[in-house]
Amino acid sequence: MDQSLISGHAPTPPAARMENHGSNMLKVAMSSGHDLFARTGSMVAYEGYVQYEPNPPAVRQMASQWLTGEGAPLMRCTGDGLLYLADYGADVVCLQLTNESVSVNGTNLLAFDAHLQWGVERVKGMAKFAGQGLFNVVVSGTGWVALTSRGTPVVVNCGGGDDETYVDPDALVAWSSGLRMKGKRSFKASSMIGRGSGEAYQLGFSGHGFVVVQPSEDSTDRLRARG
Amino acid sequence: MSREFQRGHKAKISDLTAGTDLYVGVQIGGPGLAFDISCFGLDAGERLSDDRYFVFFNQPQSPEGAIQLLGAQAGDTESFRVTLDRVPPHVRRLTFTATLDGAGQMSQVGPGYIRLVAGGTEVARYSFTGAEFSTERAVMLADVYFKDVWRFAAVGQGFDGGLEALLTNFGGEVLEEEPEAAPAPGAAPAPAATPAPAFAPPQATAPPSFAPPAPAPQHHGQPQAPTPPPPPAFSTPPPAQGYAPPPGSTPPPQPPASGPAAHSAPTLAAPLAPPGYFSGGHTPAGGTVPPPPPPPPGVPGTPHAPYAQPTAPTQVFATPQPYGTPAVPAQPQPGPHASYGAPAPYGAPAPHGAPAAHGNPGVPGLQAGLDPYKEVPVGQRWALQNAKLVRVDLGADPQPVLARQGSMVLYQGKVDFAYKGAGFMGRIVGNATGQEMQLMRCTGRGQVFLAENSAHLHPVQLENEGLCVSADAVLAFDESLHHEVRRIEGHGIPGGALFTLQFHGTGTVVLKTHGTPVVLPVTNATFADSNAVVAWSAGAQVVVSSQVRLRRSAYPGHSGETVNLQFRGAPGNFVVVQPYEV
Repeated sequence: MDQSLISGHAPTPPAARMENHGSNMLKVAMSSGHDLFARTGSMVAYEGYVQYEPNPPAVRQMASQWLTGEGAPLMRCTGDGLLYLADYGADVVCLQLTNESVSVNGTNLLAFDAHLQWGVERVKGMAKFAGQGLFNVVVSGTGWVALTSRGTPVVVNCGGGDDETYVDPDALVAWSSGLRMKGKRSFKASSMIGRGSGEAYQLGFSGHGFVVVQPSEDSTDRLRARG
Repeated sequence: MSREFQRGHKAKISDLTAGTDLYVGVQIGGPGLAFDISCFGLDAGERLSDDRYFVFFNQPQSPEGAIQLLGAQAGDTESFRVTLDRVPPHVRRLTFTATLDGAGQMSQVGPGYIRLVAGGTEVARYSFTGAEFSTERAVMLADVYFKDVWRFAAVGQGFDGGLEALLTNFGGEVLEEEPEAAPAPGAAPAPAATPAPAFAPPQATAPPSFAPPAPAPQHHGQPQAPTPPPPPAFSTPPPAQGYAPPPGSTPPPQPPASGPAAHSAPTLAAPLAPPGYFSGGHTPAGGTVPPPPPPPPGVPGTPHAPYAQPTAPTQVFATPQPYGTPAVPAQPQPGPHASYGAPAPYGAPAPHGAPAAHGNPGVPGLQAGLDPYKEVPVGQRWALQNAKLVRVDLGADPQPVLARQGSMVLYQGKVDFAYKGAGFMGRIVGNATGQEMQLMRCTGRGQVFLAENSAHLHPVQLENEGLCVSADAVLAFDESLHHEVRRIEGHGIPGGALFTLQFHGTGTVVLKTHGTPVVLPVTNATFADSNAVVAWSAGAQVVVSSQVRLRRSAYPGHSGETVNLQFRGAPGNFVVVQPYEV
């Protein structure tokens, strides 16, 4: 078979713990002793000897409030080899934290090093607005985190001045922890009557830091929808 | 979308793209030929008055990072990133040149091109072949220059003499091998006094010549610290970069351009510079050069998203390092990395190879990974942030913007969103097609980011022109545009009719398409699927052509292509079609 057309997509030797393969796939160089937490169902391929432990006890406790009544949507991956992860064609962004901290929307988290500190937080003020509330995972320490974004994201700096930055919660991907946030209803009451849709609620961020936003308001959790 | 340029063609960059963050890719090559592709940042007098704006492989970016050398990628032999609104005011012309390294002449060059890419799409391309040249050793490919606004010009002019001759032509200076040419510690901060990093031939022992963007002088613009002596690893450059003359030589004699004038363009004689430029001092033309602004914090040299494919060694060095870390030259040689064929598109791979290398100090962390997604510089009213996200700046022009409801993903500043009814006709659209065309009016002062469902966005600027857009392909538009609903009736169109918005006037419409669209010129036989058509110029006349066949009634529910729109119009009209049938 003439493979010249697809040979350009062959895997490349890993250069770092996490890398992109194309824009939509994450390649993780696994080695024993360096475990990884990944979204359940995100594995698309692996080479080598990698084991998966869905719903590990440690995670179960941490993520008990992620969504009630269901198992934690994370699995612990151990072993040696190359692991490929993807989330229904979403763009993947790898971040290397060096003693830093980032808050990631729960549905936009793809994988992170198991040795990082992490915790689940509920976004204050949002629970009473949106139906299911908004959960985010705060990851801090030194290591790698991979996010997904539907479309190429944009990073906006919050200036810390008078102007707050308002984000559609469905388009929010991640933000630097340390920003103050609050819910805001921006439509005037008169325009709300009978008009359910529209830019009804936003999250306002203030302080110094950045916000990552995706160009899509599709925040459904596709990995979870699979069941 | 790409526009083909011929030699001598010029265009405003604002006509090509709304963005100011450009990617310039050059493809040039020939059997056995090696090229050095560089960018000269010239002043208004077309002089290289500031050496730091000669961007080439030894100096991969200008001080404030407005011009960055990115290396080979995406089919380009060499590529640059140019951020026009960060180019300082004394640099008015960026000339992209290719010079032969080693033996050969330009007539041996195969087909090549220089192209401009903005926001992920190619907007301009100038193609050339070796037949246009003869015995030249260098070619000036294209200029990006400022005349009232930034413009692009396809030059394609051959040049006798190599890189040094080109340099002298622009008033630069080729350093001889002089040990004292190295920037002395504590030298005056005037940039012209330290031309060594830029022009020292690689063979020279001048220390900084190969210290890849030595962090201290490069980033802070002023050599406030003595440059560390070169580590041995860098004193011998890779052979591929040995373009320069043997140490101590003057610009080498070039093969005379006495060959048959196979090319029509005049060939410049090599030394055009006034004699003053050869004498040692090299005073910058036009008085003193302002000290370079410090790089904006958080905007290190990491390339922008579409460009971030660090395969070339220079790229690895271009990843942001903490300023002034003396350990930079001691970084492992990037050689092995250059062998990775696949791009690591996010620009953040650590320059060290160990897979389990987390926690390595000195590695850029979070910001570096996010840097490719930085907000584009403010300035225009409509700016494409990336292919799927557009930003409208409501600051300068207080005119309101109408946008599809729910398309705002982020805003900064004091912006008010108000419901805007589509009016009577809009309701007809909504009722007839089952989809509401609901708009909101954005007023106030600030920046609003608009996107919808990862659709590709295309700002179209109308200047007293007309455009018909399918109602569901409109994302946002300036309220200054006059718009009305037009109805195209035809049997077989879902909902009974196709509704379009016709825009007239001066302003910007943002279209959204699923996937990359195609723009077809209207000929006498142009057809488009009524479900896939996005927009067409108002001069084109639409005819519904139904291909009714007997089979259709025989097989109810068959899904063939039955209803097409035929477009007729004068030449110059166009149709935009998306690869997606709604």
